[in-house]
Amino acid sequence: MFWHTMTNSNEEVQQRLPLSLPVLHMLLSLLEGERHGYALKREIQQRTDKRVNLGSGALYGAINKMLEQGLIVESDERPDPHLDDERRRYYRITSLGRRVVQAEVARLRALVQLAELRLGIPDPV
Amino acid sequence: MLDPTKLYRKLLRLYPASFRDEYETPMDRHFRDEQREAQSWKAHARLWVHAIFDVAVSAPRELVRELGQDLHFALRAYRKRPLSALLAIGALALAIGVSTGVFSVASALLLRSLPFSDAARLVELRRSPFSAGNGRAGFIAWQGHSSYLEGASSFSTSEMNLNSGRDALRVRVSETSANFFALLGTRSDMGRTFAADEDKTGQNHVAVISHRLWLQSFGGDPAMLNATVHLNGAALTVIGVAQPRFDYPGDVDIWIPTVFDFETIPKRGAFLWQTIGRLKTGITMTQARQQFRAEASRVSPDSFRRADHEDPDLVRLRDQLASPVHQSVLILSAVVLLVLLTACANVAQLLLSRTVERSQELALRAALGASRSRLVQQLTVEATALTLAGSIFGLIVAYFVSRTASAVLPAQLATQRYTLLDWRVLCFAITLALIVGVIFGVMPTWLVGRLQPSTRLARVHPGSSEPVTRRLQSILLGVQVAFTLTLLVSSVTLGSAFLRLVNTDLGFRPANVITLNVSLQGTRYQKESAVWQYYSAVLDRLRNVPGVESVGAVNYLPLTANVLMAGTIKADSGQQVNGVVLNGVMPGYFRTMGTKLVAGSEFVMNESNSADPPVLVNEAFAHQAGLDASMVGRRIKAPWTSRPYLVSGVVATARMAGPEYDGSPQAYWPVQEEPPPALTFVAKVHGDSSKYLAICRDAVMGLDPGVPVYEVKTLDQRLNETLGRPKFYTLSVLFLGCLALLLALIGVFGTSSRAIAQREHEFGVRMALGASTGNVRTMIVRQSLAPISTGIVAGVVGAIGSGPLLQHVFVGAKTPDTSTCIVASILLLAATLVSAWFATTRILAIDPIDAIRAE
Repeated sequence: MFWHTMTNSNEEVQQRLPLSLPVLHMLLSLLEGERHGYALKREIQQRTDKRVNLGSGALYGAINKMLEQGLIVESDERPDPHLDDERRRYYRITSLGRRVVQAEVARLRALVQLAELRLGIPDPV
Repeated sequence: MLDPTKLYRKLLRLYPASFRDEYETPMDRHFRDEQREAQSWKAHARLWVHAIFDVAVSAPRELVRELGQDLHFALRAYRKRPLSALLAIGALALAIGVSTGVFSVASALLLRSLPFSDAARLVELRRSPFSAGNGRAGFIAWQGHSSYLEGASSFSTSEMNLNSGRDALRVRVSETSANFFALLGTRSDMGRTFAADEDKTGQNHVAVISHRLWLQSFGGDPAMLNATVHLNGAALTVIGVAQPRFDYPGDVDIWIPTVFDFETIPKRGAFLWQTIGRLKTGITMTQARQQFRAEASRVSPDSFRRADHEDPDLVRLRDQLASPVHQSVLILSAVVLLVLLTACANVAQLLLSRTVERSQELALRAALGASRSRLVQQLTVEATALTLAGSIFGLIVAYFVSRTASAVLPAQLATQRYTLLDWRVLCFAITLALIVGVIFGVMPTWLVGRLQPSTRLARVHPGSSEPVTRRLQSILLGVQVAFTLTLLVSSVTLGSAFLRLVNTDLGFRPANVITLNVSLQGTRYQKESAVWQYYSAVLDRLRNVPGVESVGAVNYLPLTANVLMAGTIKADSGQQVNGVVLNGVMPGYFRTMGTKLVAGSEFVMNESNSADPPVLVNEAFAHQAGLDASMVGRRIKAPWTSRPYLVSGVVATARMAGPEYDGSPQAYWPVQEEPPPALTFVAKVHGDSSKYLAICRDAVMGLDPGVPVYEVKTLDQRLNETLGRPKFYTLSVLFLGCLALLLALIGVFGTSSRAIAQREHEFGVRMALGASTGNVRTMIVRQSLAPISTGIVAGVVGAIGSGPLLQHVFVGAKTPDTSTCIVASILLLAATLVSAWFATTRILAIDPIDAIRAE
């Protein structure tokens, strides 16, 4: 029985892989705590030197999809302390979301290792 | 100035409803935040470019995802109530399929694209004083100076004998001016068309042959190019093969540039020059018509002295080619539209009652925050899914219907080959599906607009229909019944008119008679004596074929599309008979054709050597001469001869153009008096006449293979061809009428069974209170009686109102009579009530105890 559930949840994780780059970034941000949509966007912008700049359609499209897949859930609405007192919708990562990030990172690590093996690790300049 | 946030909100409308409901506010806020941060105009511009790009990429993605979800939901909903969905899809598939199929055949007849370039600018100059008759120089000078025509071409079409060294054939030949193909804008498929001055005497011994002739008679042999063929004995070189579908001016197999040179091809008979032209660009039809008429009246003032309808006129080539079938096909299209609307009423009823059944669910969702546009989107997707399913099955039905329709299509209507279900027809089907989808996407919307969550949620019984929708459903049912009755009455009326046509006394009996034509043009039989000898020999040969009972021959056989020679004849009673068809016959003709000799006797061989040569007239002639039966023994005089003729007998009037038209007065001369170059032989045979066709043809061919023997057909075949058009329309309308009846029955069945499903609870209570199932069933049937009978009354009015249109379908069709209307009404009423009664069988499954428990 236990084994069965395990397989099922493993499958659940595998079905959601690979993650797109924006989704991975968003989940990484959410690992640090709850965020609202705009904050996610700003954080990703800063982290990537503005190389990943999500439009709001792409941002909320991705959020919508993550909600559907159960990677994140909506937490309650509350004001954003940094900007103004308008109420904003906050999102939180689920345990499934965590496992999916782990699996994705593991997948990427394997890929990076393979690449290193083939190319050799370049000397740091 | 335009508020940028408002503009952005407008942009957000491109997202699907559910996504917008959820994220419109945060996205809007998001945009405002970014706007606040943007300092320079460059940053603003970047912001906008980014926003537009973002919407362009993400909106379609969200739309596809949401529509997929809606579709999934719709399929699940339909699966719960499969019968009514299947009935509606089936009705729609049948209607779209059949109408598309019939339309594709009709469009092939009427709307087929002419194989000419820029056909809209091509015109025919009717009764034009400018024709090849003015000679080459005159004609070319006239067209060169025209203010409204870019160019003009003249031609004359007739039948000729073709000898190519293989079999002798009879073909339709158009003698044209050299620019004929260039003017129409059609190229050759192989070889070339005429060069500019190839219509000059001495250079015009060339011919272009039709693709059909090339394939059928010359086996598609490329060596036919530059081969020599003989037309009526004159040698011509084949220089090209025309495009596959090209046969203008109609059924033509050979074109030769000899219209200015009457002598090139030896021929006899009546010839008619036709002139066509291409309008200059920028000239309207009205301007061109005015200029042409002015020019014609200047050149030939006489032409305007005749009756009005004979004035020179300019008509579009396309209108002129389509006019014979135009009206009938339009009526057929109207019938098709009625059938389609009947099916649409079915779908409308289904969607209406589904919305009513789900009103509580919809109200609940609205109360929980689903926006109106969200619900409308869901309903639209459901309706469109249903319609599209109907359309897809409809295309399959259409494929089979058009194949069947083209099989029953009379051969002479399908003179040109066409691909069935071409892109036009596909567009027609898709447009229909879209219109239906949009209409029924909008109808539920209108109902949702009236949803009041508070009152809806207070309701106890889901789906009990309210007065507005119930009335709407009754109206739809009534409309359906009305259309169906109109179609039924029309098809019965056309059907009986067609039966009347078939049973018309033709003045001859077509059964067991075979016919064949011979033509001696261009053969070695040119002297009258040789011609007469040949004809007599043919008669003898046919007579000696075992099984042949009698033989005869005639100049103009009934049921053939001939140009008839007609004239005015004076009887010695002083009466003048106009429009007399002058026909030549050989002995035995009337006996063979089963034409009754009303008075006197048939003439026999050699009688013409007597003092006054004998002549036979028909009853129509005798009647017009005011003499009827006392015609025998009288003398008549034709204006072109001084000799009087003695009327030796009166025969029954033959309907030359088929049962649709009355027979005209005729006078029959013995052929031997002046043997014509072509003759039709008839033979009455014993048993199945089609078995004799090959034997008789071989018997005649055996006499001289150089003489073409053509149109070897039974008389029944010729009659069927004549009746082909009325038969096709009658069958089509009859078929569509039956289809409409089927659709109406499906509609009544569906409406009744859905009504029961919606009111199951009410019926349960009634039965618990003592009503029997019989009582309840009768009540339901009685309730559908009102819309059905209203529909029947409207249908009768519609049938009588549209009656005059039926007269245009074919001659002999009449306005529907009262008895047809009554019989059709009773039949339809009975059929719909039976259908409603069958639908009520589900009452038997209702358990009154359940109803009470729910209460």
